[in-house]
Amino acid sequence: MPKEERYDFVIVGGGPNGVGTAAYLAKCGASVCVLEERPEAGGAVENTEPIPGVRITPHAMYMYAGPAPAFEQLELHKYGFRMDWSPQSKNLAEQQVRGVATTQGLAPITDKDAMGWAKISGMLTDPPFIKELLRSIFWCPPHPPEIEVTAENVPYMQVYKRHQPDVWTEELLDMTMFDLMDEYLETEPIKVMHAMVAWYSGAAGHWEGVAIPALGCDITLTIYGGISVPRGGMHDYFHSIIRCAIAHGTVVRTCCPVDEIIIQDGRAVGVRLRETATTDEKKIWANKAVISDVDVKQTFTKLVGPQHLSTSFRRKVEDISLKGGSIWVSHLLTREKLRCRPKFRNPVSGDDAGLGPYPCDSRAIYYEHVADVDGRRGKPTMPPERLMWLSTPGDRFDAADPQCTIPGRYLASPYYTYVPPPEYTVGGPDALDKVKEEINAYLRKAFSQTIENLNDDTLVHHWANTPYESEFRNSGLIGGTWCGTRHCDDQWGENRPIPELARYRTPIERLYLCNQTACHPGGLALMAIPYNLMHILIEDGLAEPGKWWYPSPWYIPQKGKISAVPLHAGGK
Amino acid sequence: MKQKRELVGQPHPQCFFSEFPAESDWDAVIIGAGPNGLITAAYLARAGLRVAIVERRYEVGGGLATEEILYPGFYSNMHAIYHLMVDFMPAIKDFDMERHGLVWIKPNLQTAMVFGDGGSLLLTRMIEDTMDSFHKYSDKDAVAFGKLMRNWRRIVSEILAPATYIPAMPPIDLTVAMQRTDIGREMLELVEQSPLDIINNHFENDRIRAFLLYISCMWGLDPRETGIGFYVPLLIDRGMNKCYLHGGSHKLAGALSREIVRAGGTILESSDVIKINRHNGSVTGVELMEGRTLNSDVVISSLDPHTTFFDLMDKNKLPTDLKDSVERWKYDKWSFNTVHVVSKEAPHYACEDQWVDESFMTIFGFESTKQLLAHWDNVVAGKIDKNSLGGHATCESFLDSHLVRKPGHISFFQMHAPYGIDGGWDKRGPEIMEAMLAKWAKAAPNMKRENIVMAKQETPKDIEIRFPNMRRGSIKHGDYTPIQMGCFRPNEACSNHSTPIKGLYLCGASTYPGGLVLGGPGYLAANRVAEDLGVKKWWKPTKEMERYIKTYLT
Ligand SMILES: Cc1cc2nc3c(=O)[nH]c(=O)nc-3n(C[C@H](O)[C@H](O)[C@H](O)COP(=O)(O)OP(=O)(O)OC[C@H]3O[C@@H](n4cnc5c(N)ncnc54)[C@H](O)[C@@H]3O)c2cc1C
Ligand SMILES: Cc1cc2nc3c(=O)[nH]c(=O)nc-3n(C[C@H](O)[C@H](O)[C@H](O)COP(=O)(O)OP(=O)(O)OC[C@H]3O[C@@H](n4cnc5c(N)ncnc54)[C@H](O)[C@@H]3O)c2cc1C
Repeated sequence: MPKEERYDFVIVGGGPNGVGTAAYLAKCGASVCVLEERPEAGGAVENTEPIPGVRITPHAMYMYAGPAPAFEQLELHKYGFRMDWSPQSKNLAEQQVRGVATTQGLAPITDKDAMGWAKISGMLTDPPFIKELLRSIFWCPPHPPEIEVTAENVPYMQVYKRHQPDVWTEELLDMTMFDLMDEYLETEPIKVMHAMVAWYSGAAGHWEGVAIPALGCDITLTIYGGISVPRGGMHDYFHSIIRCAIAHGTVVRTCCPVDEIIIQDGRAVGVRLRETATTDEKKIWANKAVISDVDVKQTFTKLVGPQHLSTSFRRKVEDISLKGGSIWVSHLLTREKLRCRPKFRNPVSGDDAGLGPYPCDSRAIYYEHVADVDGRRGKPTMPPERLMWLSTPGDRFDAADPQCTIPGRYLASPYYTYVPPPEYTVGGPDALDKVKEEINAYLRKAFSQTIENLNDDTLVHHWANTPYESEFRNSGLIGGTWCGTRHCDDQWGENRPIPELARYRTPIERLYLCNQTACHPGGLALMAIPYNLMHILIEDGLAEPGKWWYPSPWYIPQKGKISAVPLHAGGK
Repeated sequence: MKQKRELVGQPHPQCFFSEFPAESDWDAVIIGAGPNGLITAAYLARAGLRVAIVERRYEVGGGLATEEILYPGFYSNMHAIYHLMVDFMPAIKDFDMERHGLVWIKPNLQTAMVFGDGGSLLLTRMIEDTMDSFHKYSDKDAVAFGKLMRNWRRIVSEILAPATYIPAMPPIDLTVAMQRTDIGREMLELVEQSPLDIINNHFENDRIRAFLLYISCMWGLDPRETGIGFYVPLLIDRGMNKCYLHGGSHKLAGALSREIVRAGGTILESSDVIKINRHNGSVTGVELMEGRTLNSDVVISSLDPHTTFFDLMDKNKLPTDLKDSVERWKYDKWSFNTVHVVSKEAPHYACEDQWVDESFMTIFGFESTKQLLAHWDNVVAGKIDKNSLGGHATCESFLDSHLVRKPGHISFFQMHAPYGIDGGWDKRGPEIMEAMLAKWAKAAPNMKRENIVMAKQETPKDIEIRFPNMRRGSIKHGDYTPIQMGCFRPNEACSNHSTPIKGLYLCGASTYPGGLVLGGPGYLAANRVAEDLGVKKWWKPTKEMERYIKTYLT
């Protein structure tokens, strides 16, 4: 007979945030169980090899997490963490020489552009303050509710004030990233390029009040992460996190969907698994807390019974916006290496590598794309010549990685294009899936604006997953968006995803959240949510880290709680 | 400005967060994280050794793979799915796999064979259910099967299964030992008969003969070869006791890798071992393609002989005997060609007995022993007759709802096939896939185009691309023939899992007792290394092994 299973913490969902949280807690000495619905943990950070020898990454591709304290605190190198540094990381300057891809060819980047960008990115001081800047944006929990958020206490504002006071102005808090770039950069295409990278990596370039978060998402990839991938892809980076968790005793169970978070007397005490779960024990109990890495909407509409929540709270959760990030992901396998049309070739190296975003002519094109995706919400109306999309450099794979591709076959992957979230698509959630082949063909036409040899003769496979398919594959990817819920100012920081949930606590005692959709700073496999959540669990007396722990320098403890600042560092 | 540009361009030193070191030291390095490599690593890690296991693919598991090859949304167990030795494998008990939430399902209806006229035969976990189906064709065979299996079950549970986890013995010693009991002598009598003889001697009906011959030889026995006859009771008995791991075969790999990590071991994926380093003849570690070096006086390879000895080492510096034996090594006589499909409905076989639809494995395409033998003869000759092919199918989603992430069913149809097919797989692949789908639709009429959402073929060549160590698509890393079995696997010098090269050990399917997910080579290699290093074993033989040792070896 199965014995009763009981742990200090039960974590629902084995994505990078759930497992990262498990690693932190297990390292504190707690007993932790992670329950994952799919055959493999990892959430949206995964690999597949749909044909032998050709590995694709259906979702996450790039390393944005470079500044994460978790690399030190969890010592991920001990668990096999390695990078494949892109050759580009050694020479970003070359990118400047190449310029930005527009319909006219490569538009130059001026010195003013480069200097302006370096300045706001924290690269012009000696030493640079980019790491502090990024940590202040992502790796600090939102301030407690009793603290009024001001231009003085927002972490990144403090960093600018200290290191680059001439950038600091109260208006930074209200700007769009376009506004910021209008001040520091001069040419339109580079601004559109960065706005687009930001939109596909975090907050969009055109959203009010998130200029610096948007900037942060861009530079943590392009400058700090060297536009590079971990060895074996993001999934192998995830392996180092999950192995850290396991080495410290975490129990991981796959194929174990949770159907209910069990609540007794207003307090989360365990979970009930679906009948099909591949384990004999169907109830798992939590002594200290249940932590949900399931998206915020399903957590409160499916896993927590409605009797436990107020109507107004439920309504607020239902209203959380999913817009601004549903990705149609394409992977192209071809007989020839895809070549840029001559006007897009790097004038110095002749390099054909991916161009990043295209086309970056003007914000008019960008806004046209916005209107299609989040305004009209149907099939794209833009002609393929103007459609915006983002490719990743084809040279990102290390030739020493045995699974790049097979001889005679070339992989260009992934190509990202935004489309409306299925939930909001005019015509129903499967409207675009019904015309999948048509849209794939349309996308290839769009890609062919810069590629000269993508055609029926060269194409072997065009794999694609639509946002709706992403939802099927990973039921946590609501809206098929890579970040789940929009990173707009109304859903960011102290407002993410709604103020009531901003500090990872919920109306249910001992139920916490760690999913990207529910927590500051949202999407990307940054190991930021687990770190930030640690502050809160320490405050609530649930986690007691050892000497390895250090809190965010901008963290403000909540009144009446235990401070996450260790005693030896002046905490109370 | 140039200088400033550099400032923009150069990643600041802050960017270089810590990575796994370029050079590191270990007590043992294991090459390849298939079931055997994982088992070896897990035993040794828990024994206190500092262990690193290096895997070429992005995911551990080797043949234990549950992956989304029908992309997007559908997972398949593309390699090992039928787990034959769950009842006996020491690793399952030693690591208390139940604690990992591993649940094996052993359906009563194990294998069905369907015929063109709607007839069928069943092989079930419970002997009587099999006999019931045999009675339709031959009372004599039904009775014979019942009697035979009562004895064969004992031969398997008392001799063959425990012996899988005990070091190989020279044939003479084995013969002497087996003389001690009746069932031992009965087993010895089987050795010198071919599978075809054994089946023909015991059974008269041709359909029953074909059915049992398929079950006996499907893992690669030559039906006409003598010297391997003891495999017939083993594979029929195990064919009645196949298990499916709920959630997919990869779960076993996951559980083993957690054991390794829990015990302080390290797993490195996406790392091709390209060289085994040696100094003064002894092993000193391995080189990874990415440029890292792992130093260790003990290296344990789970790869095939050719890869281990010729690709990773200097062939010319090997002892001559060893070199010759590797050169003589024969890869599997046939491989598998598998068509995986997503369908709206699960396969529904045209068969009077509707229970067949629930079978774990369903054989079709063969009406007689003659036709079956002709197919195998063709395969060995590098041919496939599109009009007369057959194989076995499984509907995975029927067993396991976790494999489908979208509405639909997944199944596969697997056929013995040559690696070196006439004309080559690139050219012949599409037509063979069509022929297989047509054959399937004949047996299960709803498996028509309209019902099939996605189909994907994995050829023997594809197997080799996924696993270069499964050379020529050899699922067992080398053929089952009398001179490549027992203490001759892979050769006399290495069948006890050590090698003539100091510090080099073998733990994969090409070493005794052989291929499939037996967990035998991995377990025995761990024992050997522990003994050689004087490490205390934390595990004990299973009770079946103890009884065997008591009866035959002491
Ligand atoms: C197309 C795409 C591209 C991306 N590119 C990048 C990139 O380049 N770099 C980067 O850093 N990030 C990228 N991301 C974002 C990154 O993948 C996500 O931010 C990250 O995976 C979020 O982690 P999470 O743990 O919050 O959620 P998820 O990864 O969604 O994990 C949630 C987990 O919970 C499981 N689950 C759901 N419901 C249940 C239940 N009821 N019971 C049990 N388990 C359940 C799910 O199966 C899933 O495994 C990308 C994402 C997408 C979709
Ligand atoms: C299509 C198919 C179906 C099968 N069905 C079944 C079944 O139903 N039941 C059953 O019991 N068995 C089945 N098998 C056989 C079974 O999978 C194998 O016999 C078994 O996996 C062998 O285990 P192993 O650990 O010895 O080697 P493998 O599983 O082959 O593992 C070796 C590992 O080494 C890795 N590797 C290779 N080269 C290097 C290198 N240079 N450096 C580092 N790593 C390397 C490989 O990637 C692989 O992961 C099947 C096999 C195939 C191909």
